[in-house]
Amino acid sequence: MSSFKRPHFYLVALVAALVGAPAFAQERTLVLSAFGVGQNELRKELYAPFEAKCKCKIVVNVGNSADRLAKMEARKANPEVDVAVLADFSALEAAQKDLIEPLDTSKLKNFNKLHDFAKNPIGNNMGVGYTYFATSIVYRTDKVKIDSWKDLSKPELKGRLALPNITTTQGPTTLMMIDKAYGGTTPNLATGIQKVSEIKGGVVTFYERSAQLVQLFQQDEIHAAVIGRFNWPLIKKLNMPIAWATPKEGLTGGINVLVVTKNSKNKDLAYAFIDEWLSAEAQTRIAMALIDSPVNKDVKLPKEVAEVLTYGADTAKALNLIPPTQQLLHRKSWVDGWNAKIASK
Amino acid sequence: MFDNRRIGTALALPAAVFVALAFLLPVGILLSGSVQTPTGWSLALFSEFFNDPLSVDVMWRTVRLGAWVTLTSAVLGYVAALAIVQAGPTWKGRFVGLVVLPLMISPVARTYAWIVILGRTGVVNQAITGLGLSAEPVRILFTETAVFIGLVQLFLPLMVLSLVSALENLPADVVPAARVLGAGWLSVFFKVILPLTKEGLVTGGTLVFTGAVTAYITPAVLGGSKVLMLETLLYQKVSVNNDFVGASVIAAILIAMGIVTHMLLKRAAKARAR
Repeated sequence: MSSFKRPHFYLVALVAALVGAPAFAQERTLVLSAFGVGQNELRKELYAPFEAKCKCKIVVNVGNSADRLAKMEARKANPEVDVAVLADFSALEAAQKDLIEPLDTSKLKNFNKLHDFAKNPIGNNMGVGYTYFATSIVYRTDKVKIDSWKDLSKPELKGRLALPNITTTQGPTTLMMIDKAYGGTTPNLATGIQKVSEIKGGVVTFYERSAQLVQLFQQDEIHAAVIGRFNWPLIKKLNMPIAWATPKEGLTGGINVLVVTKNSKNKDLAYAFIDEWLSAEAQTRIAMALIDSPVNKDVKLPKEVAEVLTYGADTAKALNLIPPTQQLLHRKSWVDGWNAKIASK
Repeated sequence: MFDNRRIGTALALPAAVFVALAFLLPVGILLSGSVQTPTGWSLALFSEFFNDPLSVDVMWRTVRLGAWVTLTSAVLGYVAALAIVQAGPTWKGRFVGLVVLPLMISPVARTYAWIVILGRTGVVNQAITGLGLSAEPVRILFTETAVFIGLVQLFLPLMVLSLVSALENLPADVVPAARVLGAGWLSVFFKVILPLTKEGLVTGGTLVFTGAVTAYITPAVLGGSKVLMLETLLYQKVSVNNDFVGASVIAAILIAMGIVTHMLLKRAAKARAR
């Protein structure tokens, strides 16, 4: 370390920096906008292997869908992001705002290997599904029994229940299932909102960050919560008597999609990257790391991994999904209803 | 201080330009967003805010919690600051170090620690059930109480530091003089110490109040969406509803709150002096 004291060390460093800088600049960069969940694993299982192949660098901007959508809108004329990972309804919003462009699926070698539900989830080939997830109730089997979305109102769960806030991806789908369970008929989910408002005093928290739930289960704060399947591995690891419910009204869930930004300067890299993400190899690696459920039909998973993830075409068919168009059409009325009946006193 | 006024102005210029470009300009742009509607300048967005029961509810909760946090910090702050000033030079340094220490720990880490401490199985609830004060653990997490505790811990150091520096400037003989003339400890505090250190109280009070009403992490983690405050509502508007206009209205209200509080505290301090 004594070399730090010598003046010529700095001179060498300076020269190296000046000579090195243009060399770095020549390496191409693909900017990905993605969710924060599982980034370390994705770097290892997906980004790093792709970087080695493409001789390029992947830079990831993380955040929730709405946040990143706002950034993309602000940079519409001169987009920073090349590829974005979005929830299906956010991707549709991006399409309506003219921020993304239709995919030329002939450029994706793996496109025909995908389950049908993933091929064109938001219409007009504006995006391609890369993963999907089920959403259900997880509960302490020693404290309560859950067979229906109505069971969230059970007295055993008073003061021991966490529900997703309306602002999360899981929020509207949870409302929809409760609405369905109680025979709601209107698209504004008035019945579901009414039912949740009746138990709101007994809800510990309407969570915004699902990562928090692990701690809440561990500290015995909650005995049940509505979660996406992607949170299940960590909760299962607690080794507590916690089960994933199969309510008689069925499960809900969502599809996440990959989109290409309009006017992206790296379209070739963007398509190569999306194709890589959809390949059976990458989808298998990501699934084995318990990050995302695969949509490529060629992916074969061992039983113990398949059990933890959302797996198979039948599972996907059984999910009660909210069509993205409906979500965009009614989201405001859900948030207004929620704020009037649940968020305020 | 400078013989030539122009040198003084010139020396102040770089900082002034920096503040103007990096602070005043962006704040101006932000605030202008809250009074601009497609049809022109208008306060319609503010009347919309004040007509929404949820927003008004959230605003009053923010003001109420901010006021309680400031008041509690002032009471605890005077006790701590008086003790610190009384201590010898070595201990004074150590105490001030201890007061500053929490400021060096990330608010996120501190706030998460409170989740453990205030939880059903945490120390507080063990003490409550152990002492027989309640048969069942008490729900503290995700209530206003939890947010209050978190905010007091977060901002108390700012009050203590302001009061310590104010008390240090107190002439050493005023308290003994008052005592010799027959004043009790209470009247010494209210008639001598408080009036002479009110500048510190105004500074500390402004810092604590504006800090408490604009804190994000503590209400978000310890309160959640059931204890919305203006700052968490602002976040919701931006990151969920993509409603930057609604968010800039809240930002304007928060800035106004800070300024009004500072003016009120200053006026109260002056009134007492007369």
